[in-house]
Amino acid sequence: MNRRHFVAAMAGVMALAGAARAQEPVQLGSIEILSGPNAAYGVAIKAGLELALDEVNAKGVLGGRKINLIVEDSAANKDQAINAARKLIGRDKVVAIIGPTLSNEMFAVGPVANERKIPILGTSTTANGITAMGDYVFRTSLPESDVIPVTLKKAMDRGVKTIALMYANDDAFSKSGYDVMKSAAEKAGLKIVDIESFGSKDSDFSAQLTKIKQLKPDAVGISALVEPVSGVLLAARQLGFGPETLFIGGNGSNSPKLGEIAGKAADGLLVGSPWFVGKPTAVNTKFVADFQKKYSKEPDQFAAQAYDAMKIMAAAIDRAGAAEPAMVRDALMQTKFEGVMGPFSFTTGRDPASAEGVVVLVMQNGKFGIAP
Amino acid sequence: MLAQQLVNGVLLGATYALFALGFTLMFGVLKVINLTYGFYFSAGALVALWLVRTLGFGIWTALPVAAMAAGLIAVVVDWLLLTRLRSAKAPELASLMVTLGAVLALYSALTAWLGSDIRRLPPDVISGEALQIGSVRVTLAQLLILGAVAILIAALIWLLRGTKLGLAIRAMADRPDAAELMGINTLRAAAIVSFISGCLAGAGGVLIGLQRNAIQPYMGEEMMLRGFVVIIVGGLGDIRGAVIAGMLLGLLEVMTAGYVSSNLKEAVAFLVLVVVLWTRPSGLFGRAMTRRA
Amino acid sequence: MTIPPWLDDFLWTYGNLVHALGVNGLLALSMYVVLAVGQLSLGQAAFMGLGAYSSVLMTQQLGLPFWAVLPLSVLAPVVFALVIGLPTLRLSGVYLAIATIGLGEVLRAVYLNVDLFGGALGLSGIPERADNTMIYGLLLAAILALWLVGRSGIGRAMEAMREDETAAAVMGVNLLRYKMGALVASAALAGLAGCLNAHVSSFIGPGEYGFEPAVTILSYALLGGIGTPIASVVGAFILTLLPELLRELSDLRLVLNGVIIVVAVLFLPGGVLPFRLRRRAA
Repeated sequence: MNRRHFVAAMAGVMALAGAARAQEPVQLGSIEILSGPNAAYGVAIKAGLELALDEVNAKGVLGGRKINLIVEDSAANKDQAINAARKLIGRDKVVAIIGPTLSNEMFAVGPVANERKIPILGTSTTANGITAMGDYVFRTSLPESDVIPVTLKKAMDRGVKTIALMYANDDAFSKSGYDVMKSAAEKAGLKIVDIESFGSKDSDFSAQLTKIKQLKPDAVGISALVEPVSGVLLAARQLGFGPETLFIGGNGSNSPKLGEIAGKAADGLLVGSPWFVGKPTAVNTKFVADFQKKYSKEPDQFAAQAYDAMKIMAAAIDRAGAAEPAMVRDALMQTKFEGVMGPFSFTTGRDPASAEGVVVLVMQNGKFGIAP
Repeated sequence: MLAQQLVNGVLLGATYALFALGFTLMFGVLKVINLTYGFYFSAGALVALWLVRTLGFGIWTALPVAAMAAGLIAVVVDWLLLTRLRSAKAPELASLMVTLGAVLALYSALTAWLGSDIRRLPPDVISGEALQIGSVRVTLAQLLILGAVAILIAALIWLLRGTKLGLAIRAMADRPDAAELMGINTLRAAAIVSFISGCLAGAGGVLIGLQRNAIQPYMGEEMMLRGFVVIIVGGLGDIRGAVIAGMLLGLLEVMTAGYVSSNLKEAVAFLVLVVVLWTRPSGLFGRAMTRRA
Repeated sequence: MTIPPWLDDFLWTYGNLVHALGVNGLLALSMYVVLAVGQLSLGQAAFMGLGAYSSVLMTQQLGLPFWAVLPLSVLAPVVFALVIGLPTLRLSGVYLAIATIGLGEVLRAVYLNVDLFGGALGLSGIPERADNTMIYGLLLAAILALWLVGRSGIGRAMEAMREDETAAAVMGVNLLRYKMGALVASAALAGLAGCLNAHVSSFIGPGEYGFEPAVTILSYALLGGIGTPIASVVGAFILTLLPELLRELSDLRLVLNGVIIVVAVLFLPGGVLPFRLRRRAA
């Protein structure tokens, strides 16, 4: 058998195998924090992914194949996240991975996926340098550098001239957000009167806030996850911070939990967001209603980002024409998508291309609304 | 600003002292590194949350009920895990290990069941009013909590110094073998000490959850490291030492954050711990002992 | 010889786990060394962090080759052990445990606040320089060395110290020298483990060397048993494999993991391998 015959025969065999496989589900992996103290984030993301998956699988991809989503727990542990990635890639033969939850985990997992040329798509990893790890590392989460300047501009429109900054100095997400906040404030010409830090598991912020209060800044910018931000706001009200001080949150504050935990103490806080629950587009109202129906609670930003990410991934697999990682990667680059976050595409650096969708929200009576 | 920072320090110190009360008792009397202590703290807060939100209890009736529930959990856990080791006179390490496994299982079960979300008591459960005295501001809630801490400390000291039960407990702490010879039923006394410690932990969980308005399964675990610092610096089993050490630690952390740098707030606690141990190996107020284990 | 693709995939899938087994084995030995002289010193995670951070800086900032980095990675932890050793080793029991944990927390604050260490973002983009040959070679060498030491006269003195310190001192054992030796050996082993781990996992962060890992390392040695070096390594293997074996149970796996530890301690008080080193009668 000469070479051409051999190739033809092989192609025939592969076509047959392909036909048999046509109805086999496409394997897709996800790594999220489902246990331990940070499980709330991973659980929200998983909920968003699975809601989108229901819709995707109603139609199917690649001519009717279903997507089989395998969600692995990382327990916020670097080694377990790597093990999960290797299991998904090596054993489950996934075509791509969504996740992991934290930027720190992505720094460990990104190179693993990139080495095996498996596209990996972060939905909640906002730290600097994530996508620089390799050609297969993507993210749909808007980096803070696109959001914070918009929020600061809104604050300055309200007459803010001086600002104090507070941040959690022990997790990558908060520290990275603070770096952005600081440089954006400097660029915008705000005077930074004080910088204070705390630990992300801290629950006492009185010393830092007392110091800030004495300096009377027009605004206080906080970069941390929602639990400490709530604690800061509650403590600030106890110390007598009134409406004359404007509180400004980073991405971590953008969660309905802020209203649930801090209640009225959070009133007046400004936060920039690529999304909010009351966004009046048809896609979004449907998403919020469906989410309410399925989980009987309101979605948060993490669920919304995950919902879009799943649809972006499914569309890319479909466009790729085959469940081949390299083809899915190329298809991801071509993404043009209209989701709950608004119009979406990737830059050549695999970050979200547009920050158009960013709106500034204000907390009022425990709920976010568009800031006037 | 100094006056307000001092008040902040005392309030923070009171929470540390509150957490350490039961911890130092458990440690000092039962001679066990019981890592499950933080779990009783979380359990107390969560039970109170359930009582208030679901059964409509007022917070001051929920407090003792939740504390006793936490106490009962402590007795059961102690009985399940440690009786066997105690009667076998197993080494310290075995109890450390067994409570370590238990901590992992208990917290994971609790989060698997309830999720790790922060919950809060209804906002109207305690007054939000504040008193302004000169440049110092304290909320009514903070004062109430401070009062509750003082009552708990007084009650505990009375129990240990002024009752027959207290005498037995102190005898056990000093010389467990002699106590047994004197006819004290050490198994029953261990259960009682577990119960009291658990109650104190549970009450601490409710009060601190109330003050911070945040209750979640891992809240006790997050206090453990600071708790260790306080009971070691104060001297194991030394109630008065724990209260003083808690207050000092609170003040020190607040002053460091207020006047030096908030980056050092966490580190300073451990720096103090190490320095105290290097210079006074049995705690700031402890008597020098020949065997310090 | 070429490896068939399925085997290659299998090895790759569990590659990190295989690395972790070896590294955690080294950490268990680092714990064993101090427990063997009766010292409940919990600085292993801190030593590991020093080894990891210093070795990554040598690789990334100084561009040193790995054959130089690996042996040099014991330097920072050993120096640290020598500095803290004297005041710390006067303590015993719980006091020693808490003091060493406290030192680990102080180091964590240093990593967080000094820019050189990358703060909360940690150090990323670490090249993969270590491999299984090095990890398991070192593990075997360490087991062998500790075994030989354990069977010698030094081992007898160590065992005497573990059983009763005062009696050992009366018998003429120089307690401080043995304690210091154990601490330094422990620091060196943990430093190597930190260096190897950093050079197979591309990222290290300040949260990886605190209280929790310190306690995890202790549990390796206790579960396995502290009679022989190999037992503590077996303990590390079991506790490293458990979460992966229980992966199917999702959020209940940590519950079962904890229950297994409890049951093991209650019913196997000497560890999974409760043997002692055999030694010819003196």
